[in-house]
Amino acid sequence: MTAISKSSPIPPSRQRERPGQQFKWIGKSIKRVEDPRLLTGQGRYIDDIDRPNMLHAAALRSPHAHARIVSIDVSAAVALPGVVAVLTGEDIAKTTGPLPCFANPPVEQRCVAVGRVRHVGESVAVAVAESRYIAEDAVDLIRVNYAELPTVVDPEAAVHVTGDGVLHPDRGPTNIAHRRSFSFGPVKEDFANAARIIQRRLRWPRSGSQPLETVGAIAEYDGGSGKFTIHMNSSMYNYVGWTLALSLGVPAHKINLVPTIAGGSFGSKLFTHKVITLAATLARACGRPVKYIEDRIDNIMACDNHGSDRVYDAELALDKDNQMIGLRCKVIDDYGAYFQFGVGHHGNALSQIVGPYRIRSVDLDIIAVMTNKCQQGAYRGFGSEVANFVIERLADAAADELGLDRLEFRRNNFIRPEQFPYKIPTGNLYDSGNYGVVLDEAMRMLDYTGWRTKQEEYRKQGRYIGIGIATCQERSVFSATEFWMLNNEPGFALTSSPEGVSVKIDPTGKVVVSLQAPFWGNSPETMATMILAEQLQIDPADISITYSDSEHGLAGTGPGGSRYTVMVAGALVGAANIIKEKLLRVAGHMLEAAPHDLELRGGKVGVKGVPGMEKSIADIAMHAHFFRLSMPDDPTLTSGLDAAYTYDHPLTTLPSDDRSDLGIFYPIMGHMCHMPVVEVDPNTGKVSFLDYVAVHDCGTLVNPMTLAGHVRGGIAQGIGTALYEQYHYDENGQLLTASYADYLIPTVHEVPQNVRVGHVETPSPYTEYGIKGGGEGGRMGAPPAVCAAIEDALRPFGVKIDAMPVTPAKLRGLIRAAESLAG
Amino acid sequence: MGKCVISVNVNGKVYERTVEPRMLLSDFLRHELSLTGTHVGCEHGVCGSCTVLVDGMTTRSCLCFAVQVDGQNVETVESLGRIEAMHLIQLAFWEKHGLQCGFCTPGMLMCTVELLRNNPNPDREAILEAIGGNLCRCTGYQNIIASVERAVELLQTKEEAAS
Amino acid sequence: MKPAGFEYERPGTVEQVLAALDRYGEQAKLLAGGQSLIPMLNLRIVQTEHLIDIGRLNELKYIKRVDDVIRIGALTTHNAVMTSELVRQSCPIIAEAYHHVSHHSVRNRGTIGGSLCHNDPAAEMPLVMNLVDAALVARSARGERKIAASRFFGSSFSTVLGADELLVEIRVPSQPAQHGWSFQEFSQRKGDFALVAAGALLTVHAGLCRNVRIGYRNVGPNLFRLAKVEALVEGKAADAALIAQAGKLAMESVEPPSDLHADAAYRRDLVKTLTVRALGEAIRRAGH
Repeated sequence: MTAISKSSPIPPSRQRERPGQQFKWIGKSIKRVEDPRLLTGQGRYIDDIDRPNMLHAAALRSPHAHARIVSIDVSAAVALPGVVAVLTGEDIAKTTGPLPCFANPPVEQRCVAVGRVRHVGESVAVAVAESRYIAEDAVDLIRVNYAELPTVVDPEAAVHVTGDGVLHPDRGPTNIAHRRSFSFGPVKEDFANAARIIQRRLRWPRSGSQPLETVGAIAEYDGGSGKFTIHMNSSMYNYVGWTLALSLGVPAHKINLVPTIAGGSFGSKLFTHKVITLAATLARACGRPVKYIEDRIDNIMACDNHGSDRVYDAELALDKDNQMIGLRCKVIDDYGAYFQFGVGHHGNALSQIVGPYRIRSVDLDIIAVMTNKCQQGAYRGFGSEVANFVIERLADAAADELGLDRLEFRRNNFIRPEQFPYKIPTGNLYDSGNYGVVLDEAMRMLDYTGWRTKQEEYRKQGRYIGIGIATCQERSVFSATEFWMLNNEPGFALTSSPEGVSVKIDPTGKVVVSLQAPFWGNSPETMATMILAEQLQIDPADISITYSDSEHGLAGTGPGGSRYTVMVAGALVGAANIIKEKLLRVAGHMLEAAPHDLELRGGKVGVKGVPGMEKSIADIAMHAHFFRLSMPDDPTLTSGLDAAYTYDHPLTTLPSDDRSDLGIFYPIMGHMCHMPVVEVDPNTGKVSFLDYVAVHDCGTLVNPMTLAGHVRGGIAQGIGTALYEQYHYDENGQLLTASYADYLIPTVHEVPQNVRVGHVETPSPYTEYGIKGGGEGGRMGAPPAVCAAIEDALRPFGVKIDAMPVTPAKLRGLIRAAESLAG
Repeated sequence: MGKCVISVNVNGKVYERTVEPRMLLSDFLRHELSLTGTHVGCEHGVCGSCTVLVDGMTTRSCLCFAVQVDGQNVETVESLGRIEAMHLIQLAFWEKHGLQCGFCTPGMLMCTVELLRNNPNPDREAILEAIGGNLCRCTGYQNIIASVERAVELLQTKEEAAS
Repeated sequence: MKPAGFEYERPGTVEQVLAALDRYGEQAKLLAGGQSLIPMLNLRIVQTEHLIDIGRLNELKYIKRVDDVIRIGALTTHNAVMTSELVRQSCPIIAEAYHHVSHHSVRNRGTIGGSLCHNDPAAEMPLVMNLVDAALVARSARGERKIAASRFFGSSFSTVLGADELLVEIRVPSQPAQHGWSFQEFSQRKGDFALVAAGALLTVHAGLCRNVRIGYRNVGPNLFRLAKVEALVEGKAADAALIAQAGKLAMESVEPPSDLHADAAYRRDLVKTLTVRALGEAIRRAGH
């Protein structure tokens, strides 16, 4: 049974490179191109860069969660030797406008607060000095008078707040940033006729990327030309970077954003407008370059990107054959004090809201509410990891209530291989998949039956081990529509999410590829090198990679939503096709052969079937660059050997106007099965890992080693979300986890040491080579899998896990409650 | 605030500088000496990204003032190798995909250096103890463990070849 | 986060340190390993006008045996104490407790004296010193005094040391050859401060527990040894029933704090569980 759809037919595939070819490079686990400079300490991260005559900035941060700024006295700070300027939000607002916001109506946000602070840690004033040390000394001398306002940190309470507790009274009388209901398919009937309805109230905690490198920027302003040059470790500078020019009040060609490599992002460096805008403003104000790097406290308290923070009342309808048919959720999402990406997170989730199951109706009521916390942004999964958690927890509850095996219950509900490409009720498409195979492989790798036997034995010894399961979707390659489609009147209904690349072969035959997107710890250089080496049949050592700044860059959305490898592959195929055509053409002249009789082989172009009759790419390149007159006159043949190509999303359709069909917007659909084995100490609530298998289907793999690296890293972050991490605000909005002493990131001791990663490849029919994205997947499956394992371990106690993080204290509390119930 | 004149041996070269006592060793190395391979992740001693060796012992350089190492020997990641001639430990990390963003990597490498100098054949527990105080947000640690174990092999092979 | 400014000196001898302390009093802070102080300086939780660096006073870095007492110089690093064969043989609970103390790099610089003087309510060494009945030797320009561990520690982050005093030595009595010991700690991550820690020392003669010392960390202000539980166990048969009873009594005898990571009820559970584990292991090790 396929989902009901009123949309237009699925567009045809534009795939040019088929999967399953004999590859020389693709599919190999080659060592990364990026590594040598990183290993030798030669990576140039943002704080490694100095500009002549540079100043340093530090921010004064609000100690109050919600307050009017009554007055700010900077006189003592300004008088400190070494201080060049001290600016308040009001000072900055004279030259710098609000930050870009993707919501409509927008929620006004400034790089430094004006008139009111809305969360603990929001910046109130900034000092610029000869060193960061002096800037912080100056910050200590700034005196601020606040008039406190009512604080709200509970999202359910925030929905009802009125009066002085409203964070943005100019926008409306409540803290509700956006409210929308969606209904797809016959939800009412499915629930009315359901044989059984499973209910679960679930709480997803606020955690965040916390990469080891914070956000930073170094801005320079040339007073002569009115132009900003800004080094920064953010992304999307070749996509929406120009919107920063609007904030700065200059035309977009007067701002050049220069990327540096980033020490991790996981989404949190997606579009870090606060830091960049602030650095630029200060550079213009001071007439000297200004470096502003968040320190760890700045980042924890006031970054652009805390993760999802949601309460779900979720229901699952089952028919008499134990088939999941309907899903109904009410979700309240705590966006914190601002709303930069709108409800894009929920658009994201709607791409795979039914999981890998044949659920045919979906009802979703979304309330995005604002509270006195740092704003939400992106964190690996961008909101769909939460949807995975919800559907998997419901599936576990359903299996348990029906007395069915959790694995087989899922298997019987999977979308079947012959049903692909498969439209889900929301309108999005799943391009390909074979979920039963992934489950089988995970069970085999884990030795599932072996662990079940051990579980029995251990229980007799009074030890509690459990096996968890999560079978989750891992969408990749977003379309821009996800950011605005949940709004019937979007502020800016952009529909492009392209990725460009330029490829240049120099006269000696060496290749330089320019990427339009940054390095974050993903492997863009390795991916580009491998794919281009495959395309041109050349040695990867002959390729080098550079990064275009915004003024030289082509359109490039950048990493995020596990899109980069797929998109850069499309761009490289496009560029390589242009170059190949020219290579064959020039070689044809050199060899006196027709281009259609020629082929690329081993760094050369030669006549098919005639070994030895060939020219090296180096020779051809030299010829192409310098010997135009040796070739026939033809206006279509110009000197040089280069190509630029911009690749658009390979498969998207627009949402319907009434949003009853969200269109195809995130169809390159990976899938995973995670099976952890945990031991729970019921006396202490400690959860330890005995085993962990993760099988991922990301279509055709470019580099299995780097993908497995992402899976393991994502699992570690998922374990962090499940067991350790939370941005914890108390009832007064004070952030109790404001440093790494209390925000607990897992160390090597807290994660499994031997995560076995399996790969299944169900290629996409739509992308080049059938590649699917896989950068986010580990984190998208681990949290429900770990919770399921804990429940399985504690079956004798009847403990249910509905909230995370499952800290030892909380788990012991659940066990204690279960013990006293049992009497 | 009185400045101090210090003399520090960093990677085999002696540097004499006048510094404020409050200047952290991490900032001294990175900005005074332009040795930016040592990274700053938290500046309160938890993440370990800033780890260097002082007189052969791993030290969080954000929890040390430059003045404290006056007259001592400091080793940073820059002492291990260059791109054209990497240390076997660096080659091991490269081979085993022991890094993704590279930010924690210099700290991990210096922990590995100390470990293998004192214990050329460490067991798994010793490896975990050596890197247990260093956070990595990218790799999930497994490949870092594998990298250290590979480094043990490469160094032993080199030892055997030499003898 | 960068620290605020301070004047710095690094005296070369203990006498010079004492003279500096005498001169500056409350306006000075001592910098030993810096692993606790420097984060607080960086975060500007603490500021000081004078920082006196004693981290390289080699005359206070030693471990030696004098009669039945192990004398540890206050500036001996944690790792040096942890790996000392002498300490391991004479007082193995110290080495065992060290497995829970932070991380290797921190222990490379952090000193045992520094930890004791800092007295973080969740730090392990103050508890261990109470369990082994250590004596702490403090010196000032006016002379020297010996302070029992049971009197040395004040409330969180404070000790009885005066502003002009320097802790110079820790004296740990050798434990009897056939004694039992155990140090149990629970923290969320390995190396974090203890949510609760428990330690036990005893000997077993003719099946009965003797010279029982039981103590805890992070279960209440200024609380180390639980006399009630020690009295319960002292002179009784070393069996499972006793252990269970001790755990229950310990749990009922504490009023632990609640904080972000652990509520009071959880801490009580941990007190019970860790008591049972500590006593059980100590009894086993006593050769019973």
